[in-house]
Amino acid sequence: MKEPGNAKEESTQELQPVEHSMRAVYTIEAIADLAQVPRRLIILYCKHGLVVPASKSPDSGWYFDDRAIRAVRRIENLRNAYGMNLTGIKLMMHLMKEVERLREEVRFFHRQ
Amino acid sequence: MPVQFKDYYKILNVPREASNEDIKKAFRKLARQYHPDVAKDKKAAEEKFKEINEAYEVLGDPENRKKYDELGSNWRDGTDFQPPPGWQQGRAQGAPFSEGSFEFRFDGTGFSDFFEQFFGRSGRFDGFSDFGHRQEYSDGEAGFARRGSDLESDILVTLEEASKGSVRVLTLQRTNRKTGQARTQTIKVKIPPGVIDGQIIRVPGMGNEGIGGGAPGDLYLRIRFAAHPDFRVRGADLYYSLDLAPWEAVLGARIVISTLQDRVSVKIPPGANSGQQLRVRGRGLVNGQSGEKGDLFVVINIVVPEKVTEEERELWNRLSRVSHFNPRNS
Repeated sequence: MKEPGNAKEESTQELQPVEHSMRAVYTIEAIADLAQVPRRLIILYCKHGLVVPASKSPDSGWYFDDRAIRAVRRIENLRNAYGMNLTGIKLMMHLMKEVERLREEVRFFHRQ
Repeated sequence: MPVQFKDYYKILNVPREASNEDIKKAFRKLARQYHPDVAKDKKAAEEKFKEINEAYEVLGDPENRKKYDELGSNWRDGTDFQPPPGWQQGRAQGAPFSEGSFEFRFDGTGFSDFFEQFFGRSGRFDGFSDFGHRQEYSDGEAGFARRGSDLESDILVTLEEASKGSVRVLTLQRTNRKTGQARTQTIKVKIPPGVIDGQIIRVPGMGNEGIGGGAPGDLYLRIRFAAHPDFRVRGADLYYSLDLAPWEAVLGARIVISTLQDRVSVKIPPGANSGQQLRVRGRGLVNGQSGEKGDLFVVINIVVPEKVTEEERELWNRLSRVSHFNPRNS
């Protein structure tokens, strides 16, 4: 990826594309590590319905996807930066999701 | 950080008093002309297409358009822009992606800085870059490792890119507010085939730097579909508005429609009404996460001729005398 006339120090190396697998799943230990949040907190978030495992069966255990990592990170952010409790976070996340859904609907109908 | 003003009316080539319908038409016309899949000079067309899309995102939405009009009409395209005092910005406290002591600028997402700042994600009440004024940790707290915070940005993706997948090059410039030192990173991101609107792509380690040896945060790219001149999207389904002449609607017709994959011949049953939907199975988008295959919905829109000849008028007159049909008598 060398672009003449636009030489920046960082761009001299060959770039490797970041691959994203949509079906990648992680164990609870893996997402605890990736999100840097203790396992017990993730279990607590799941119990409150704030994080939903991608699969949940008695024999294979809980598995999570990228959405769950984002949800965990987001909850942490709301707790740390705003001191929100779990009930508040639950309401906040529900409302954000609802606003997003309604905005999509409005966009869809405006374009009719 | 000053951003350059975008004259969205000029981009869509419509007057400031244009109706919503005019704006829609102007968008469709330009979007067809500059669509990256059909244009000859792909690179130039792509830039133009993004600009058109952005203009339509703002002017095609009455709320955004009102907000944009409040900026006044004296601004010229491409000049440094500062909003009037008290004007509400999309992002909290000005600068895009303000995160503690760093300022962020993205390039390659398909949205201009101007758009990001006033009509971007945080203005849409989601995305936590503007929640993220994290506490600053002094050096005194040595030994306390803390993971860096995350960044979030929209990325504009065309429907064709979404179905076939693509590779996008993004640059991310971080400026240290205290020292003014800037660092630019370039990343290539693979958009996997089958992404859907609103889906999140996690780019590990591209967020804010960690504190006290903590791991860096992640970058979350949120897929946002570019408006398509022919199709509207809902989940994995596509909606196509099919204009019909009144007699086609009454008598039925067979019409060939270009889908994203091929061309299909659609049979319009006699007596089709405006707003009626006909389903073409499996011609929508594929949701790569669930594997669900969307459908194409053809929405009937009956269009009445604005001008008629003498002969046509006579025929309509005759029809009105002969017909017992009364649409208000149900």
